[in-house]
Amino acid sequence: MLRHEVVVVGAGLAGQRAALAAVEAGRDVAIVTKLHPLRSHSGAAQGGINAAVGAEDSVDTHIYDTVKGSDYLGDQDAIEFFCREAGPIVVEMEHFGTIFSRSPDGSLARRPFGGAGFPRTIYAADRTGLALLQALWERLGTERFTLYPEWDLIRIVVRDGRVQGIIAYDRKRGEFEEIAAKSVVIATGPAGRLYSRTTNAHSCTGDGVAVAYDAGAFLKDMEFVQFHPTALLETSILITEGARGEGGILKNASGERFMSRYAPHVLELASRDVVSRAIVTEVADGRGFTGPYGGYVHLELMHLGKEKVESRLQEICDFCRHFAGIDPVTEPIPVYPAQHYMMGGVGTNIRGETNIPGLFAAGEAACVSIHGANRLGGNSLLETLVFGREAGAAAAQYAVGASATTMRATDLDEAARPIRGWSSRSEGEDPSALRTEMQETMERYAGIYRNEADLLEGLRRIRALRSRFDRVRVVDASKVYNLNLTDAVEVGHMLELAEVILVGAYARTESRGAHARTDFPKRDDQKWMKHTLAQKTSTGPNLSYAPVAYTRWEPKERVY
Amino acid sequence: MAASTVAANFDVFRFDPARQVQPRYQRYTLELAPHTPVLTALLRIRAEIDPSLTLRYSCRSAICGSCAMQINSKSRLACQTPIGPEVERHGRVVVEPMRNQPVLRDLVVDQASFWAQYDRIEPHLKLDPAHPMPEGRTTSMTPEEVDRFKETPRCIACAACFSACPAVEADPAFPGPMALAKLYRFVVDPRDGATQDRLVRIQPNGLWLCLRCHLCTEACPKDVRPSERIRDLKEMAIAVQGGTEHGSKHAIGFKDNIVDLGLLNEMKLVRQTFGVGGMLGQLPQGLKIWRKKPEVIRKPHRIEGADELEKIYAELDKRSETPK
Repeated sequence: MLRHEVVVVGAGLAGQRAALAAVEAGRDVAIVTKLHPLRSHSGAAQGGINAAVGAEDSVDTHIYDTVKGSDYLGDQDAIEFFCREAGPIVVEMEHFGTIFSRSPDGSLARRPFGGAGFPRTIYAADRTGLALLQALWERLGTERFTLYPEWDLIRIVVRDGRVQGIIAYDRKRGEFEEIAAKSVVIATGPAGRLYSRTTNAHSCTGDGVAVAYDAGAFLKDMEFVQFHPTALLETSILITEGARGEGGILKNASGERFMSRYAPHVLELASRDVVSRAIVTEVADGRGFTGPYGGYVHLELMHLGKEKVESRLQEICDFCRHFAGIDPVTEPIPVYPAQHYMMGGVGTNIRGETNIPGLFAAGEAACVSIHGANRLGGNSLLETLVFGREAGAAAAQYAVGASATTMRATDLDEAARPIRGWSSRSEGEDPSALRTEMQETMERYAGIYRNEADLLEGLRRIRALRSRFDRVRVVDASKVYNLNLTDAVEVGHMLELAEVILVGAYARTESRGAHARTDFPKRDDQKWMKHTLAQKTSTGPNLSYAPVAYTRWEPKERVY
Repeated sequence: MAASTVAANFDVFRFDPARQVQPRYQRYTLELAPHTPVLTALLRIRAEIDPSLTLRYSCRSAICGSCAMQINSKSRLACQTPIGPEVERHGRVVVEPMRNQPVLRDLVVDQASFWAQYDRIEPHLKLDPAHPMPEGRTTSMTPEEVDRFKETPRCIACAACFSACPAVEADPAFPGPMALAKLYRFVVDPRDGATQDRLVRIQPNGLWLCLRCHLCTEACPKDVRPSERIRDLKEMAIAVQGGTEHGSKHAIGFKDNIVDLGLLNEMKLVRQTFGVGGMLGQLPQGLKIWRKKPEVIRKPHRIEGADELEKIYAELDKRSETPK
């Protein structure tokens, strides 16, 4: 049996930062990831990282913007801590070697972003995530830790009221392994592949969130799903909010800059939920463009000039040219919203602690909550680093005080047996067919606009898919890189989360941030200013609610 | 309205070393729009025809670096290669694993040697103790200093260059284009305090094994241009250390020949590269050349108009990049 003090699952920015904090605290640390760390989805983040660092900007404005962006569902104590840590953690990443874009005076360059009262988004061209991921991985490489690359998380072993370790699956050898650990940090990132249109990578299947839920962790605010306004039509490849920050504008089929009707003050730089709903409304009301890949609107960058577009939005230029055959210097970009970010996740406090002793979470897999009902662009990279560090430090501290772990010989077999059974069936359900049906269901019934009938229908369909999943079959007989098997594991995870999203969305009879109910179009602070908590039972998620933490900001109507 | 489609034949390399003696090519035929990326096609094969087809992939937008493979014999990202031009040019799409890395299964290769070479260049900032990072604030760096990184920050470590590189194939000691482009990124970083040491240490069994074929630059999906950065590293290495390796001595000797004589004298160049003693080792090769082309082995003499060449070199020396 493998044994470490702290096991971090996921090796994107949150996982790596957690691992660094735990290593620096002197602990024996292992990182388990189903990819190579440099392939993590953090590297796909484009636009930037928020920090109020200039003399003209203030941390208080950043806090206020985040509170308002969250539609008053973010915990204000957590948001205050988060925004205060922004400056120092960006300095730290610069010292680790991040190559940021610069202003002529040698300071960090900043660009405007949606929902922000000041241009405070620090960036590295339009590949900020990649720049941070490289620098952090290179910094972490100077430390001692164990990496288990291309290992899947299968189960978190909880016994005697605390974490004892994990069961993982090594893709290369096709073997299940147990890793005893005093503390475990879940940093497995997004779950965008629940939807058919998503900016997320194929690997974003919410594994850690689902496995933590299965282990008894509370999932918080899962019904809040962010749709990014500008995803490239057909492929849903992300076109950064930075494109609008640099001056890009949105137009409908009649050439109208329609955002003036939805957000008269800040137009395209309203927060993401607002812009996404505007685009969907334009298309639904017949004012969008139509084509073989559905309705869409135009994102125009042409007026910015070749030099600006090609230098500040270099990757976007490449994406458009390679993936849509379009040159954004001379042509408009066809865009439509796509799933982008899960505000919800494993419920934690500021230290990354969950309701299970020894279990921690950080990054997109976690919900502190700082994003509340809607995340601001530029706050997620910041979240990975700030709360990755906090969770890693807390996990290290917990490991020091914890007694020895007690994994049992039966732990591995209990986790592995059902999965091994999938391969011995002579007939059964195909995991990729289940995945496609699940994605279409979530897209259709739990998308940008929701209502009671749709959510109930979605829930019925997801539950039917879950019972079909009980008969899932793996036909690939090889032990080496059996993607047919890992596909099935991932679909199982996603179906679990789909149910939690639907149940939470059905219960929440109001519209707040990214959760827009056409049958309850108003925000209801009286009844719903609270976090949804979901806990797994044999009959489905059991919902309870927790208060939102307030410090200084009274809820107001949200106007951009 | 639906996009028009073409019938595309895919011949995909299949091999499970644990269960098969030798690889085979499996044909799949799909109706696809010409702009469909090869990755999308492979994922459709997995979903609709054969779930046992094995490959690495994740972001599908050329930023995670997972899906590099050989597509019609070129190292490419599957997600960034549309099928239309491939079918048009080659009549089919032959999909094989990357080269220079052992196959684990189908299109998945063992990247241990690739990552080991990346580690070899010590890819992290090394501070000069005399110049610590400023306390509590970022270092100052102008946009011009950022420009000195060229396109190296765009590298996604996909290993397409490593796969395309004949020097990697010839000598596993060669770090490969990606590692050297990464080295360049640290050498030009104004925050790094180990530039000279890096340039000295990369020379034995390293930098000079590059064959200057530029196939890496052709293969790179992010336009990092590794071969150009390797050229820059070579210039900087000579500026730091002069000629220490056969490669650097050869480069210096080549230039001296042209400046002194106005044309290449092979005898002189061999002596400069390998030394008088080392010339003995080159004797069999020299004899072979002498038998076929005796005019090559001749006494050095200066050609007419060599002064002009000298002036060109003087101008180039003035303009060349020197390490910081």
